[in-house]
Amino acid sequence: MGRFVIRRILGMVIVMFAVSVLTFLIFNVIPNGDPADRMAGKNSTPAQIEAINREWGFDKPIYTQYATTMEKVATGDLISYANQTNVIEEIKRGIPRTFALAIGAALLWFAMGTALGLYTAMRAGRWTDTLVTVLALIGVSMPVFWLGALASYYLGFKAGLFPNGGYSEIGEAGLWEWVKHMILPWTVLATLFIGVYSRVLRSNVLDTINDDYVRTARAKGLTERRVMIHHVLRNSLIPIVTLWGLDFGAVLGGGAILTETVFDLQGVGQYFAESIGQLDVPPVLAVTLFGAFFIVLLNTLVDIVYAALDPRIRLS
Amino acid sequence: MSIADSSVSSDLSPVADGGQVEAAPDPGISPGALALRRLRRKRAALAFGALFVVLVGLALAAPLWADIAGTTPAKNHLSDTIVVDGEEQQVVTFDGVPIAPTWQKKFFLGADTNGRDVAVRLLYGARNSLFIGVVAALITTFLAVLLGTLAGYFRGWVDAVISRSLDVLWAFPVLLLGVALGVALALGGLKIGPLEIQGDSKWIPTLIIGVVGVVYLARPIRGQVLSLREKEFVEAARAQGAGPIRIMIGELLPNLASTLLVFFPLLVANSILLEAALSFLGAGVQPPEPSWGTMLAEGITLLATSPHLTIVPGLMLVLTVLSLNIFGDGVRDALDPRAKVRLEHS
Amino acid sequence: MLCLTFACAATLGLAACGGDDDDGGTSTGGAAATDDGAGKTGGTISTAYTSFPDYLDPALSYTQEGWQSMWTVYTPLLTYKHAEGAEGATVVPGLAEAMPEISDDGKTYRLKLRQGLKYSDGKAVKASDFEHTIKRVLNLESGGSSFYQVIEGADKYLEDGRARADISGIVTDDATGDITITLTEADGRFPYILAMNFAGIVPSDTPFENQTKNPPVGVGPYKFENVRINRGYDLVKVANFNVPDQAQAKLDTIKVEVVKNRRRQTQDTIQNKLDYMNDPPAPDQLRDVRAEYTDERYKEFVTNSTYYYFLNNDIAPFNKPEARQAVNIAVDKRSLARLFGGLLEPGCNFLPPGMKGYEKIDPCPWGDPTAAPDIEKAKQLVQDSGTAGQTVTVFGNDEPESKSLAEYLSDVLNDIGYKARPRIIEASVYFTTIGNQKTRAHAGFANWFQDFPHPGNFMFLVDGDSIQATNNQNFGNVNNPEVNRILDEANKNADIDEVADDYARADRLIVEGAHVVPYGHRKLTVFYSDRVDFENCTSWHPVYNLDFTQLCLK
Repeated sequence: MGRFVIRRILGMVIVMFAVSVLTFLIFNVIPNGDPADRMAGKNSTPAQIEAINREWGFDKPIYTQYATTMEKVATGDLISYANQTNVIEEIKRGIPRTFALAIGAALLWFAMGTALGLYTAMRAGRWTDTLVTVLALIGVSMPVFWLGALASYYLGFKAGLFPNGGYSEIGEAGLWEWVKHMILPWTVLATLFIGVYSRVLRSNVLDTINDDYVRTARAKGLTERRVMIHHVLRNSLIPIVTLWGLDFGAVLGGGAILTETVFDLQGVGQYFAESIGQLDVPPVLAVTLFGAFFIVLLNTLVDIVYAALDPRIRLS
Repeated sequence: MSIADSSVSSDLSPVADGGQVEAAPDPGISPGALALRRLRRKRAALAFGALFVVLVGLALAAPLWADIAGTTPAKNHLSDTIVVDGEEQQVVTFDGVPIAPTWQKKFFLGADTNGRDVAVRLLYGARNSLFIGVVAALITTFLAVLLGTLAGYFRGWVDAVISRSLDVLWAFPVLLLGVALGVALALGGLKIGPLEIQGDSKWIPTLIIGVVGVVYLARPIRGQVLSLREKEFVEAARAQGAGPIRIMIGELLPNLASTLLVFFPLLVANSILLEAALSFLGAGVQPPEPSWGTMLAEGITLLATSPHLTIVPGLMLVLTVLSLNIFGDGVRDALDPRAKVRLEHS
Repeated sequence: MLCLTFACAATLGLAACGGDDDDGGTSTGGAAATDDGAGKTGGTISTAYTSFPDYLDPALSYTQEGWQSMWTVYTPLLTYKHAEGAEGATVVPGLAEAMPEISDDGKTYRLKLRQGLKYSDGKAVKASDFEHTIKRVLNLESGGSSFYQVIEGADKYLEDGRARADISGIVTDDATGDITITLTEADGRFPYILAMNFAGIVPSDTPFENQTKNPPVGVGPYKFENVRINRGYDLVKVANFNVPDQAQAKLDTIKVEVVKNRRRQTQDTIQNKLDYMNDPPAPDQLRDVRAEYTDERYKEFVTNSTYYYFLNNDIAPFNKPEARQAVNIAVDKRSLARLFGGLLEPGCNFLPPGMKGYEKIDPCPWGDPTAAPDIEKAKQLVQDSGTAGQTVTVFGNDEPESKSLAEYLSDVLNDIGYKARPRIIEASVYFTTIGNQKTRAHAGFANWFQDFPHPGNFMFLVDGDSIQATNNQNFGNVNNPEVNRILDEANKNADIDEVADDYARADRLIVEGAHVVPYGHRKLTVFYSDRVDFENCTSWHPVYNLDFTQLCLK
């Protein structure tokens, strides 16, 4: 088991490295304008541009630039091209917001998805089953920013039920304000996943419900409820939990970018969206690494958990 | 995006079937015909499949509607007036507020802030969005089959290289990668050897979406190939002296067909959603070409005065994606009611 | 200055002559002019900008958001009157005792620093601080440094490269407070240049570095506090500010926050959660805000700005005058006004109405700006020019208005016989891209907001002498010899009234030559919560838009 974990962690490091190289290349190889030009501002002179090139090292070969940039990321000294702010500081500021969004939404979709999945499994074949399934599918078919914009405008501004977007710090305005600001974003983001989860759970439940050992348990006289919870649910949940781990990683990684933008939460994803619009490479690079880190971390955790549960996988 | 639906063996069947019980399969019928028969019984899936076809038809009919409305998707009518219900109204008021749906030939679904006919743009936008969705899905399928088959069949270092590369791509947050590529390429265009694509061509988002989708499909394909290659018919073919290419194309590919058929509608649906997201962030289709994503992005800024600009393209997108999802469900059930096409994580 | 968002509009002017009905009313009589003190003092308000000012360093800041604050924190030797309307565009003594004595040849300016001036931290102000201030502008390669290169010795200073080197054209005497500035040539714009915020006096120990994180002290009614880069800052009233003839602040504190989402700013202001909104309301809120709050909490006014399309006079097809004329005829200014949601005053001139030297060109040679264009005539001209069918790329940036404007022009060009396509460039590199000759842009979006109320500041955009290979601001390479000659002469004269006619003539020549396609002048807005005393205490300044010192609560 130990060797398995070590191998996986090593894999993680290598993947992160590859991701960083790839991101760096995308922006430095694809022609897209001169960052020195951009930084120099409106009335720049060739001398100014040369000075910027020297200061930032744009005139050095690309692998040197890469090394310098990565060093800056590691030491937390990365400066944005666009407005000379410290990128790592900005990301640190955005992290609690992105986490708040991701964790809240993830818990919500897990709970709702499981509940709906169970409900539809128990009512399989009836019209409630179809209705819920179709609703769930509709949720999956919607662009999250469309739903978010409509919700924010109609429920937020028009109906006055929710604030006009933005993020409220718990420390500043208290817990209730924070929750009020997060309810719509949580719900909107969760809608993307509830449908999928409810159907996965439903099918898993329907499969296990007729398994032999369940029938044995019933034959032994256990109540239906105990059978459901102890046997059926537990076995149905395992694939759900692994799926959840991966999706949670994806959301942290960058899936939240649209929700953050629509609700103006100023999280890490929104920081990315704003920076990319200005072709500001340092934040883009840093956020991509941040996102990749979480995706890979959660993937690895899921793998490890799976391997812990199923010895066959460790040996593959 | 979660293509996890594919790991579901959904059961729309009990309802859609109209309660019919599956009879014991007749050994004389081919699997394909059997699948088709099952599909025919799924009313919901068929209905939505038909809806999708209708939507495609509407998109193809775009030039026809443009003629009826007497305009083109890029033509502005900012200072024009039009008679609605006997009253003369401005297409775009001085405040910048465009006219709401008139339900007439001109400006059937209203106008946008540039004074353009929304219905015409919607249909042309549908063309672009559907084109991107389908072609991207084809690109994904092609690349995924290629990479997955090579990796699964040859194993060894070929597999190692391909799988590690896929790992790296998998780690890349999909949207971040798509946006990064979209923005970078929109500026300078793409030049690979003799091939040159303009920055504002719709091939750029198509290629990007096609490429980022590969990771989701390549792994399941690889998994399937890994197990298929151990099967007897492959052994037999090898014993007969068939080379790897012949085996891959002749034996493996046909067996992958059902997996691909299941995945394809979902891929198209996800590609359409991804295009909308990219265009919303400015990294997808470039102006003045319409697409559902760009129309949504423009519409959202005008929710207060002109909700039709947001609701109309949004509804059309949702209907299209929903049809694909439901139809795709039906296809999966028909091909193998108990199928569990799993996602590989490792 | 160039504008990426309306919010960065540097300076504006009210339509000096009673405006048209469309601009939401002429200025209300505000007793807010200087320090008459109508309206109560004290209190705090919150305001929002869509983006953090480019710099909080007076030597570097070159955007409207920046200047609004700079003006209240740093005072140059000369400054503008705290008044509304044309009066506010008058240059008056700031930290100098009196207006400068200008020699007969226009090259020497003599000023004297007021006695007993103190910075907000109590330090005394010295005459040599002026030279240090100018050195910073030059040494830090500020966007404004070109304005000060007319000072003798400035070029040598830049060549020398050392921060503490001397500028021979500035001589100061700390004991007497005398300041003598010598120019390399007479320049009528120099008093305005002295009044620009770049010359806001800072202490001689201010480092030669961007001080945004920790802005230096200045002499002004407000000072900076609580600066959080990219988030916001506070302007806090300075207790010991007492420069004669300069307005005292009314409010104790002005909290400035960055709220990137304009829709949120509008909604918050409507709901009184925000006290002042600098940007125009979000496009879909504009109609309702106008209808509900005009003259109560909301007002629009025409700025000294021009929005135009540049046409490349050097390369086909627009090197042919007929082609350029066709474009001028075909553009429908009523349509363009709609693209701005009505925040555009259509016009035919290149100079804006509030500017000295503006003479309305009536009738407009290219058709009445308020009537439908003669498309047939435009098509004919295109045919005549022999350029029909050519491919034209229309440049715009990715800000929503600019994008629509580029799309609009493409559409019009396609109508009259070209094959046009818009090409959208990312906003922060837009002007350097079209300012690079290599780009060979055929046509595109451009705008200009005055840096100071002198027509020369506009005409340099169409002056043949301003053409450069990179960082070109004469995007269309306009090179009309007669115009060049007029501008050469007029720019030297320090007496605007004498040369106003010359500028008017140059304006007319530019329009008649169809060198550019001007279509109007931007209207900007102010929108307050109902805590703010709109009647008495809100004052629109022609150069800075909002005069923070005049704001007060009810």
